Amino acid sequence: MALFDDVRNIIVEQLHVPPEKVTLEAKFIEDLGADSLDTVELIMAFEEKFNLQISEEEAQKLDTVGKAVTYLEDKTKT
Amino acid sequence: MNSIKMPKLRIGELEAKMPIIQGGMSVGISLAGLASAVAKLGAIGVIGASGIGMLEPDEAGNYKEMEKKALTREIRKAKKMTDGIIGVNIMVALTDCDDLIMISIDEGVDLIFIGAGLLLRLPKVLPPDRLGEIATKFVPIVSSARAMNIIFRYWAKNYNYIPDAVVVEGPLAGGHLGFKKEQINNPDYTLEKILSDVVNAIKPFEQQFSKNIPIIAAGGIYTGEDIYKVMQLGAHGVQMATRFVATHECDASIEFKKAYIKCKKEDIITINSPVGMPGRAIRNQYLKDVSMGIRKPFKCPWKCLKTCEFRKVPYCIALALTNAQKGNLEEGFAFAGADAYRVDKIISVKELIDTLLEEYDEAACGNGDTV
Repeated sequence: MALFDDVRNIIVEQLHVPPEKVTLEAKFIEDLGADSLDTVELIMAFEEKFNLQISEEEAQKLDTVGKAVTYLEDKTKT
Repeated sequence: MNSIKMPKLRIGELEAKMPIIQGGMSVGISLAGLASAVAKLGAIGVIGASGIGMLEPDEAGNYKEMEKKALTREIRKAKKMTDGIIGVNIMVALTDCDDLIMISIDEGVDLIFIGAGLLLRLPKVLPPDRLGEIATKFVPIVSSARAMNIIFRYWAKNYNYIPDAVVVEGPLAGGHLGFKKEQINNPDYTLEKILSDVVNAIKPFEQQFSKNIPIIAAGGIYTGEDIYKVMQLGAHGVQMATRFVATHECDASIEFKKAYIKCKKEDIITINSPVGMPGRAIRNQYLKDVSMGIRKPFKCPWKCLKTCEFRKVPYCIALALTNAQKGNLEEGFAFAGADAYRVDKIISVKELIDTLLEEYDEAACGNGDTV
């Protein structure tokens, strides 16, 4: 769950939400109050933290914390 | 009497005689005709690239190809008519955004203005190391220092290059707006406020790349005095669109221009555009119908917008704007800036520019500036 912790920390910092609100089911926009620029900044923060590039099409699909975690787990598998 | 000349606008090695950019108005409002007329006088003329394929004679029905063809033709036409500075305005929200960017670069336009979204990822066929080599300048259109910061940070980090200028568009602009509806009338989001935020936020990037990034103010700039005022606040130039609609050279139909002349202050409204952003437009029966929940059935000509849920939206914005451009305002509507109601006659681009220069002069002299 180390990856989830990293993701949660990024979300907490970016969206200024309490950590307990960052559940796998939480939707960035509806539940965590992200606006369109927040979602861009989140993707940029993920790219930076995990040292990868997320395409626009892929980024659009990542609308929940869980989807982002699964995607990042998948991409960072060695 | 002293005469104060407007300063020139320099973007990289480009130099416009006056710091006025005619805002790109898509779906056929600013094509080669208007853009070249503006550029000839020493300002910057801009072709609106979005949706222009739908104005082509409907032979093949392949709108995507027709849009590419139309843009290529308009750029060539404009460049044939003038040696002045020509730009193209492209929306990031378009599904063919990358194609239109590449055509603009290949056809050698001077500037690409990119709005309706943040241009972070470059077209796949454009390697980042070409950015510094190509003559075409990139100018994102933003509505907050935050959006500017995201784009510049992304470009700096991933491309080791930053855009060449930035347009700061406030909430009084026409067409699509980079604001939430509730922000539009909120005093925290005025052009003056956002402009001063961007003036500060751009500095670290200018230093890091030893590059001047001119800031262009837009949205609600109507008179030469307005130009003077924003330049006092740190803008290096302005982008104006609404006033250029009511010119002989504007490429829209006379009916479209008349909608500007006839409209009253209360007719200028904001709508929810299928693009996924609010838009400012002139209210007419079509928009009244839509606001009452009446649907305008259509068959999606081609999925032109990344964000359009074409099965759900009540009308097709590309069709509505195409109809309006052609003069059929019963089956469409006109986008317009907040000051469109002040437009009362159609004049030439030259008359408009002369008026702006005069008004600027008066404002500067009145303020005690000297030559």
